[in-house]
Amino acid sequence: MTDPERIDLSALDPARDSEQWSRLMETTRLRIEAILEGRTGAPGLLDVLAAWSRPILAAAAVLVLAFGLADAAIAAGGGALDAASGARRLAALSGNSLGRGLRPTGAELMVALGSRSAR
Amino acid sequence: MDETDAELVNSVRRGDRRAAGRLLQRYLRAGRAVALAVTGVEADADDVCQDAFIVAIERIDDCRDPAKFGKWLLQIVRNRARNLVRADSGRRLVALGETTPAADSCPATRVERAELRERLLGALAQIPEQHREVVLLHDLEGWKHREIAERLGLPEGTVRSHLHHARRRLRRILKDGGTTDD
Repeated sequence: MTDPERIDLSALDPARDSEQWSRLMETTRLRIEAILEGRTGAPGLLDVLAAWSRPILAAAAVLVLAFGLADAAIAAGGGALDAASGARRLAALSGNSLGRGLRPTGAELMVALGSRSAR
Repeated sequence: MDETDAELVNSVRRGDRRAAGRLLQRYLRAGRAVALAVTGVEADADDVCQDAFIVAIERIDDCRDPAKFGKWLLQIVRNRARNLVRADSGRRLVALGETTPAADSCPATRVERAELRERLLGALAQIPEQHREVVLLHDLEGWKHREIAERLGLPEGTVRSHLHHARRRLRRILKDGGTTDD
């Protein structure tokens, strides 16, 4: 190095004891190789399956959730339809009865309500 | 042409031992310099840089930007060195200047070199930690300002300034043979 300002720190150079430094490098290299033993370049069949299993499971969970939500929505929608048709029947019965100047009988009301609850 | 850090890191992720060896050659000394800047003890610096490098390889998938492997590694070194210092602060007060003797020299030379190392470590202990890192990486490891800036996450101008102040103070301390209030 030609830098005239440089402080001579060579006494702290780890390679001054080349044997010790080589030993440190070598033990580090061996420990690293042991770690990398578990990593292989080409994935095996199990690795491929394991890599696929997570997205497939996630997709399945999304589908189950979507079906569940759709089912619940249909059930809720069906209940609303029942209530609406029951109300229409009651309204029609009341209209007919009033048009005839009569009050709806208990049997007629039971039929209207019964047909709703029977569904 | 040398492979970039990013290329080497990606190879290590695929289990390439040769790439790991290249990173080891490229960064172990720098890791030791940073560890020495924090601990002030050469034997501890050796242990810390080795452990930190092994941790880095174990957690190589956590290195978010492979192009900045050096910066990431040196941060691991720094953290582990600081943990060691904290855990061992009592001993550290008396350990300053504790050095590893070179095996291949005569007793007189060994004593002389041990004294020189002790003086250098004593002087380094009197300047800020970041200045120590910069001066060790530049004057001992031969890194350029730009390389130090990138890997310590500092502006290049700050690196130049730290280096200038570190050298000035070290020179004064080594000349006077004692402490300074500069």
